[in-house]
Amino acid sequence: MQRITIDPLTRLEGHGKIEIFLDDAGDVANAYLQVPELRGFERFCVGRPVEEMPVLTNRICGVCPEAHHMAAAKAADAVYGVTPPPAAKKLRELLYSAFFFADHTTHFFILGGPDFIMGPDTPVAERNILGVIRKVGLEIGGKVIQARKYGHTTVEIIGGRKVHPCTAVPGGMTKAISEDERKEIEKMGRWAVEFGQFALQVFHDMVLGNPEYLALILGDAYTHKTYYMGLVDANNKVNFYDGKVRIVGPDGTLHGMYAPNDYTDWIAERVEPWSYLKFPYLKKVGWKGFADGAESGVYMATPLSRLNVSDGMATRWPRPNMRSSSPPWASRPIAAWPSTGRA
Amino acid sequence: MSKPKFAMYWASACGGCEIAVLNIDEKILDLDANFEVAFWPAAMDVKYKEVEAMDDESILVTLFNGSIRTDENEHMAHLLRRKSKLLVAFGSCANEGCIPGLANLSPREGIFECAYTSPSTENPDHLRPRSAWQAPEGTLTLTPLQSVVRTLDQVVEVDYHVPGCPPESHQIAAVLDVLIAVVKGEAELPPKGAVLGAGDSTVCDECTRKRDIKRISKLSRIQELPMLNTEDCLLEQGLMCSGPATRSGCNSRCPNVGAPCIGCYGAAPGVLDQGARLMTAIASVVDEKEPAAIDKVLDGLPDPAGTFYRFSLAHSLLRANRAALAEKP
Repeated sequence: MQRITIDPLTRLEGHGKIEIFLDDAGDVANAYLQVPELRGFERFCVGRPVEEMPVLTNRICGVCPEAHHMAAAKAADAVYGVTPPPAAKKLRELLYSAFFFADHTTHFFILGGPDFIMGPDTPVAERNILGVIRKVGLEIGGKVIQARKYGHTTVEIIGGRKVHPCTAVPGGMTKAISEDERKEIEKMGRWAVEFGQFALQVFHDMVLGNPEYLALILGDAYTHKTYYMGLVDANNKVNFYDGKVRIVGPDGTLHGMYAPNDYTDWIAERVEPWSYLKFPYLKKVGWKGFADGAESGVYMATPLSRLNVSDGMATRWPRPNMRSSSPPWASRPIAAWPSTGRA
Repeated sequence: MSKPKFAMYWASACGGCEIAVLNIDEKILDLDANFEVAFWPAAMDVKYKEVEAMDDESILVTLFNGSIRTDENEHMAHLLRRKSKLLVAFGSCANEGCIPGLANLSPREGIFECAYTSPSTENPDHLRPRSAWQAPEGTLTLTPLQSVVRTLDQVVEVDYHVPGCPPESHQIAAVLDVLIAVVKGEAELPPKGAVLGAGDSTVCDECTRKRDIKRISKLSRIQELPMLNTEDCLLEQGLMCSGPATRSGCNSRCPNVGAPCIGCYGAAPGVLDQGARLMTAIASVVDEKEPAAIDKVLDGLPDPAGTFYRFSLAHSLLRANRAALAEKP
């Protein structure tokens, strides 16, 4: 069999290698995404103080340390059976929202987005953030830089650092914000809302406005009909910090809802001999191999799945109608694998 | 004239160093103006094969972050050493092993056992990732995990060190300015082996908190303490802090926001072993004379190995526990 090796994967956090096998007709017979790294957090976190988990598990991923920081802080709250005071909870939510904004800007313009903004026929050397800035010009490039700066500055004000924040501890936060800091965050936040609308317009014009991309997004090649998973609040709206994990099937029917501490009732992790990464799946459906559909326990935990499991965003803009296609920019088929088993 | 080449690579790492470089904001344009970015997996699509094909020493400078945990990491360290005129150990993993270096407290099989036999894992056949596996379509190879985490300078010769987890963006910008000045012929290269983008004292020295008593009679965990005040030394308030043994350069970021220094900038200047220095520093401020009373103070530290060597175990004198060191590499 003919083999195509993509090594390393680029423009995403983490290490990966893809092996694609072609049959005699030149069609894809099978493909494997291998993760060639394991650092062993599962082992070396054992024996460490629980209050250090928010700073130790940060180092799982320096692109999304805020997610690990918050998950660990919430787990530590649970260990002590404490609920952070309302101000601390709001600070954590604000930190996380600022991260979400900065991270999605990073993804859209620097990691995944250059494929779309530059186009698939662009020379490889141009398909990156520097190419994007050369193409869209310094004015728009400057806006992207500003957006990341505002997001990370907000994370820094609340979390102490731009990367690997340090302020969430069991039961609360180590730092309050001053009125001046609050005002600064509000100013950056209002600018960020406008930037978000600008980014949506860019997506609309450059991606949805391009018939070739649209065919790609809506076609079979980039569509996975799996179970979908995401966090929702009491009104079934998307939440990033708290709530229950909601799972729907490929047709949108409810599979179940669970509190994070019931994880092992709902999710199991499978081991394959060809990757260090484990493969989480829905325990109640079971492992049926690398297949999509309602019979397979494979699920998606991505921006798209958040929309698919919820009745919309808690903010005033309505949900996009994209139920069964993969998220257009994050969506190589591997996006079906959530990152919970990351080494 | 073509621009000099720049590369950035992550070995066993988290990607935070890459984000810290992107967080130099508009200065990234100076990087673009003065260098050709030849290889940077986080940001561009150059593959390993293309790096192998580059001429030796054709890259002027490579920022190498991440530790050496796998055969692939080691191979990339040698490859990029060969391809680069200047190899910079960038960030805590490359310099000290960082938090993932704490894996050296366990032999490799302990890591596998924990990861692949955990309560959330369904693995009735006791499968383990293997260096080669025969798929129906062909052989799949997976780089082996080495027995211990090593730092970059334990594997290849390193020209400069930029510490931090991750290095602070204002420090990265300053290092970039130096490199650009060198490229333009306006400055000389710093002496080989220099620590760049950091201070030359300790986090305590640049910390703005007041330090008066210089004695401590009790160490507590943060959740056991009442409200910490925002002015006094955290160590004096009873919270373990790595500031006394850690290199300055971060503007004491964590203590500023009520969190103790956890030691990410590595050993202070002139210090061989950050953990040993921190132990000495703590020992010298414990306000007790009798062994039993001293023990009682130290009972406030539930995890001495992880506390003193949180970032620096892999580069310490001990490096790893005996079982891990005794394993085949």
